[in-house]
Amino acid sequence: MKDIVVKGLCKSFKSRGKTITAVDDVSFYVTKGEIFGFLGANGAGKSTTINILAGLLTQDKGTVKLCGKDPYKDWEYVKNRMNVSTAYFPLSDVLTVRQNLRVYAKIYGVKDVEAKINQLLEDFELTALGDKRVNRLSSGERTRTALCKGFINDPQLLLLDECTVGLDPDIAEKTRRLIKEYQKRTNCTILFTSHYMHEVEELCDRVAFMEEGKIVTIATVDELKKRVTKHKVELTLAENGDDLKDLLKEEGLTVLAGRDNTLIFEVDVASDDVNTIVQQLVKQGLNLKDIHIKKPTLDDIFIHFARRKK
Amino acid sequence: MKFYRITALLLKYYYISINRVDRLFDILYWPILDVLLWGFTSAFIKDISEVNILSMALGGVILWLFVWRSGQDIAVFILEDFWSRNLYHLFSSPVRLTEHILSILIWGVIRATVSFIFLSLLAYGLYAFNILTLPILFMASAIAILLLFGWAMGFFITGCIFRYGQRIQVLAWSVVWVIQPFSCVFYPLSALPAWAQPIAKILPTTHVFETLRSILFGYGEGNLLYALVATLVFMAVTSLFLLQSFKHAKRSGMFARHD
Ligand SMILES: Nc1ncnc2c1ncn2[C@@H]1O[C@H](COP(=O)(O)OP(=O)(O)OP(=O)(O)O)[C@@H](O)[C@H]1O
Ligand SMILES: [Mg+2]
Repeated sequence: MKDIVVKGLCKSFKSRGKTITAVDDVSFYVTKGEIFGFLGANGAGKSTTINILAGLLTQDKGTVKLCGKDPYKDWEYVKNRMNVSTAYFPLSDVLTVRQNLRVYAKIYGVKDVEAKINQLLEDFELTALGDKRVNRLSSGERTRTALCKGFINDPQLLLLDECTVGLDPDIAEKTRRLIKEYQKRTNCTILFTSHYMHEVEELCDRVAFMEEGKIVTIATVDELKKRVTKHKVELTLAENGDDLKDLLKEEGLTVLAGRDNTLIFEVDVASDDVNTIVQQLVKQGLNLKDIHIKKPTLDDIFIHFARRKK
Repeated sequence: MKFYRITALLLKYYYISINRVDRLFDILYWPILDVLLWGFTSAFIKDISEVNILSMALGGVILWLFVWRSGQDIAVFILEDFWSRNLYHLFSSPVRLTEHILSILIWGVIRATVSFIFLSLLAYGLYAFNILTLPILFMASAIAILLLFGWAMGFFITGCIFRYGQRIQVLAWSVVWVIQPFSCVFYPLSALPAWAQPIAKILPTTHVFETLRSILFGYGEGNLLYALVATLVFMAVTSLFLLQSFKHAKRSGMFARHD
């Protein structure tokens, strides 16, 4: 069962006589119960895609199926089962947190409104702020209020577009845990965008990488990591390692940095054998105190993809 | 269309009203100023002329409020959602445009009714002008036509906001007042210059106020049937325009824009 099926989605905007292609023939699917990440540089087309799915934007071309149905034909069915949240669109300023949530709970036809609101406020540590107006909240508190709205109808499909921007590390961690727990409990489907790679790594089963409106790859985080074969090796030496730099360069390796007693160089795990390199260095009289091999993080992968073309 | 979603939106407008005094204020504040201004003016004119202008002016002020409230409320409540960037959440929810508009119309009627009752009492207290002495059939049809015409203008303004964004918000505050001089609220159609008369004759509002004068003074060229038909035509055209603008807004990404 697939909760999101997108085929051949295209969207361009006209702005001051110029046409900007925001989404260019995008196709992907997200299976039920999956957390699917959307990565890409600023302006890659992530939010545009999400806004089309949310029903805020009409696409130029392409089809969308949500919760197994056509959202245009089965509006009621689809809309009641999904929700969106983003840090960039807070709830109504003039209403208090509770008033806002009450309005949305009623819009989504939630059964036990007050119990649901109390639960969400507790989950997102907003209970004390419930009767405060949204325009008096800090930006992180506003973001949490918008997150509460995202969960108000126990959505089967949740679109989260940079929903953790501005949260402090503690509450951000809790938010990720809540998202995860909620997902486990309800087996809902989540489409998730974020520029914080550790979040994506922690939460997402699969990720799509977008570039100039196109999806260039879809894979699991582990699969993506395997594609970056350059690993960093950091050596800590007993004495100054400047002499070693030339040696490494002779071996055809890239030295990235070297200061005092440390030396960082790059190896390609597909062609170089770290073990052999280090043994060779030891033979040359290297007095090694510590060695640390840094595997690529999702940050490295992001940079790898983002800079590929440039 | 679901009734519970409309009541949810009404609850929101209720919260806005109790949280923001100015929104509560403007159902009373401006109309009161109008009643005072026109009441005093007509009291003065009454001293120097034969015409009983008081009932015409006060009747005009009180009835005009239906055009004003219904037309402006739609635009202002939608602008409110723009200002607080709320259309993102609203239009990604199951709320349909018809439910959204209908809830605002209902709220507008409630606000207009409050203003109406208050002003009628005020006019009676200050100037012993009793609006209920006007024929009930006229009152009912006048209110209906003015409300519907106000809505038609509200649809037009909202359509413009959906199309051009907040930068045309000044339209929301002014359109009703641009129409007013041509609606002959406080003076007869014949008092308008020749070039303005054809414009005035097209407007349904003119016919309502002309009819009011023919009831009060026995002269006037109002045709309520024309007014009703014209209002319905205006409504049909502007709601089509609103619908098209809504579709346009969804294509241009208006509801998900940060500005
Ligand atoms: N309503 C709009 N009108 C005109 N251009 C738009 C509109 N919305 C988006 N764009 C353009 O479309 C492109 C894609 O924007 P989008 O917001 O989808 O990017 P994104 O991947 O979400 O970026 P970010 O990481 O910065 O959030 C950008 O070039 C943007 O300028
Ligand atoms: Mg974005």
